[in-house]
Amino acid sequence: MATSAHTLAAPARARTAAGSATLRRKQGFQHGGWFVAPFLLLFAVFVIWPLLRGVYLSFTDANITGEGASFVGLDNYREALDDPLVWDSLGHSAYFTLLVVPCITVLAFLLAMLAHHIERGKWLWRLCFFAPFLLPSTVAANLWQWLFNPGTGMIDHVFGLQTPWLTDKSYAMLAIVITTLWWTVGFSFLLYLAALQGIPDHLYEAARLDGANAWHRTVHITLPMLRTITGLVIALQVLASLQIFDQAVVMMDFLPGPEGSTRTFVQYTLEEGFTSYRVGYASAISVIFFVIIAAVALARMWLLRNVKETTR
Amino acid sequence: MGRPDLNRRQLLGGLGGLFVASSFGFAALGTGADALASDADTRVRYWNLFSGGDGSNMIAMLDAFREANPDIAVKDSTLQWGSPFYTKLAMAAAGNRAPDLGVMHLGRVTGFAPGRLLDPWDVGLLAKYGVREQDYNPTLWKRGVIDGKLYALPLDIHVQLCFYRKDVLKKAGLLGDDGRIVPVTSTDEWFDVLKEAKRATKKGLQTIGMWNADQNFQWWFFVAFYTQLGGTWFNAADTEVTFDTDKAVQVLRFLRRHVTDGYSDPGFGGLASAEQFINGSPFVWEGNWSVPVYSGAKLDYGATPLPPVFGKQATHAESHAFVLPHQSDRGGAANEAAHRLAAYVVQHARQWAAGGHIPAYTPTLSTAAYKKLDPQSEYVSAMDHQATEPKVWFAGSTGILAQRVGPLVVSSTMGSAKPETAADRMKRALTQLLATKNPMDGKTAAEGGAV
Repeated sequence: MATSAHTLAAPARARTAAGSATLRRKQGFQHGGWFVAPFLLLFAVFVIWPLLRGVYLSFTDANITGEGASFVGLDNYREALDDPLVWDSLGHSAYFTLLVVPCITVLAFLLAMLAHHIERGKWLWRLCFFAPFLLPSTVAANLWQWLFNPGTGMIDHVFGLQTPWLTDKSYAMLAIVITTLWWTVGFSFLLYLAALQGIPDHLYEAARLDGANAWHRTVHITLPMLRTITGLVIALQVLASLQIFDQAVVMMDFLPGPEGSTRTFVQYTLEEGFTSYRVGYASAISVIFFVIIAAVALARMWLLRNVKETTR
Repeated sequence: MGRPDLNRRQLLGGLGGLFVASSFGFAALGTGADALASDADTRVRYWNLFSGGDGSNMIAMLDAFREANPDIAVKDSTLQWGSPFYTKLAMAAAGNRAPDLGVMHLGRVTGFAPGRLLDPWDVGLLAKYGVREQDYNPTLWKRGVIDGKLYALPLDIHVQLCFYRKDVLKKAGLLGDDGRIVPVTSTDEWFDVLKEAKRATKKGLQTIGMWNADQNFQWWFFVAFYTQLGGTWFNAADTEVTFDTDKAVQVLRFLRRHVTDGYSDPGFGGLASAEQFINGSPFVWEGNWSVPVYSGAKLDYGATPLPPVFGKQATHAESHAFVLPHQSDRGGAANEAAHRLAAYVVQHARQWAAGGHIPAYTPTLSTAAYKKLDPQSEYVSAMDHQATEPKVWFAGSTGILAQRVGPLVVSSTMGSAKPETAADRMKRALTQLLATKNPMDGKTAAEGGAV
């Protein structure tokens, strides 16, 4: 009897619990909903709607004036797959990503280690490494445009070189990569620094007692403890680097670089949309790009899930 | 259930409403103040893309017009040069918020949907204010005519020039009795000149700056020399590519030879071309807009059209032209005032010549005042030998043609592609562009381009 009463009572309790949860949810929406409404409205107007509209436009031959667009089905996509410049510019963005991501990850880690372990003037190092990140892209790009000036620029001057950094296709992308490293490494540096500070001291202490030297402590404690943050840094950098645009166009004076060697995917989209006025086509290639970026983001989530499962 | 926040909400709502209302009020105040600023009857809104020296010259000409025509208020806006300007102009015309008068590069007019985004000029009205077809170089005037109607009224032409340092050339014995560079009529003669000039050049400086790495300049030079060879782009109906790869190879080899023979240093292939010239490098090929820069630096220099090394005079020319952006209700006083303003500026363009441009209104060129301008009077003949891009929708300054083909010229000059390869690629790019539909009307160049 007691058991049955117990079993009978349980669903009832559960029901009331569920009821109050819906109630809370309802009330929650009444209050919370209004708080997020302004955001949702802006999000819908400036993100969701343009996104849907862009997908729609990609099936039309719309031009910049917004007049007289007609439905062309998959023509734009068919053309994009055949357009050598699509692949070219995609290749440039990917190449940039391949160069930047490993460099920035390693450099940010090394700088963070340096700033973490250095005893005197800690704040100065942190400031120095992080400060460039606060600059707008145009400022950083213009600055480096001057530094890279052949012959008279500081880089050539200091190293006694005369390198056509920005005018030769074998150097141009490299120059953009160096600029980007200097400009954005501060962000990843900060992530690493925070993570370093979060590693409990007793781990190192125990290791030291067991006779581990600095190298062992780094390899067997620091690096494993930073695994999650490294995953985050790489993921964020890949996503940001694929969308490379502003520093490249500013450094190349809004042209696609020597022999088109720094024309990135975003830049090509802009060219098609706003120089050739082919908004429909530009929409189609940005949808393609969107799919690629989304695929990268999903791949990352999938990888992380696997990592979590193995560490569990 | 009490609603303690109701009042606050009402308050917030009220404040928001007040804010919106007041911003409308300020906006109204703004336009009101604008109109009140002058007691003129007619207002002309005029968009242009001139900054720097050109910008101040344009403003001086507008001020002169304002003084001569106090009944017309000119409201001029300067927008950023290049693609953003055209985008704004196109969207304004499509949205029926277009200014009464605008400026464009002549080469872009064909692609700018004349008849839809642009309104034609009233030639009779222009004549009334003193500008007629016979005042123009006939080829230049015709470039503004599409389907028999005038859509662009040229203000100037701006050309690619061969700037030379008189001090260096004198040392090299390359100046004639008139103090100008000795005439050159073949590639051999030209490289002989460079050889002599190189001997007289200070160490560490290149002999000629030719923007080897700049896709715009290299493209403009290519157009000039390709035209000297009599090369063509498309057939008359724009159905076939007539681009002559043999001729193109000749031009590309010629450009490349400056680098391989050591006259032009790829390391100084950008803006450094101009800097080197100021420092004493004997030659630079560049646009006439550098005249104020070199005159300002007090250099002893001259400037001729690009040398006719393939036997015929021709140098690349583009043109700033006045246009009437489309207004569905174009007409009336503002439209007439736009005609009057454009006609006035075209006829009073001597100020404009200070920026190096050659005024399109030919009577200006034969005035004594213009003949006194140096080096402008030295290259004025370029008006009669213009090499221009084909008249198709994808041509024109910073247009898609230059963006596609320019880098190919650079690849040959810089040595990363053989001239033959680059020429083939150019032909392929031209073929692709000819098949591309103009986004403005969905027609290819052959189907009538933009009209």
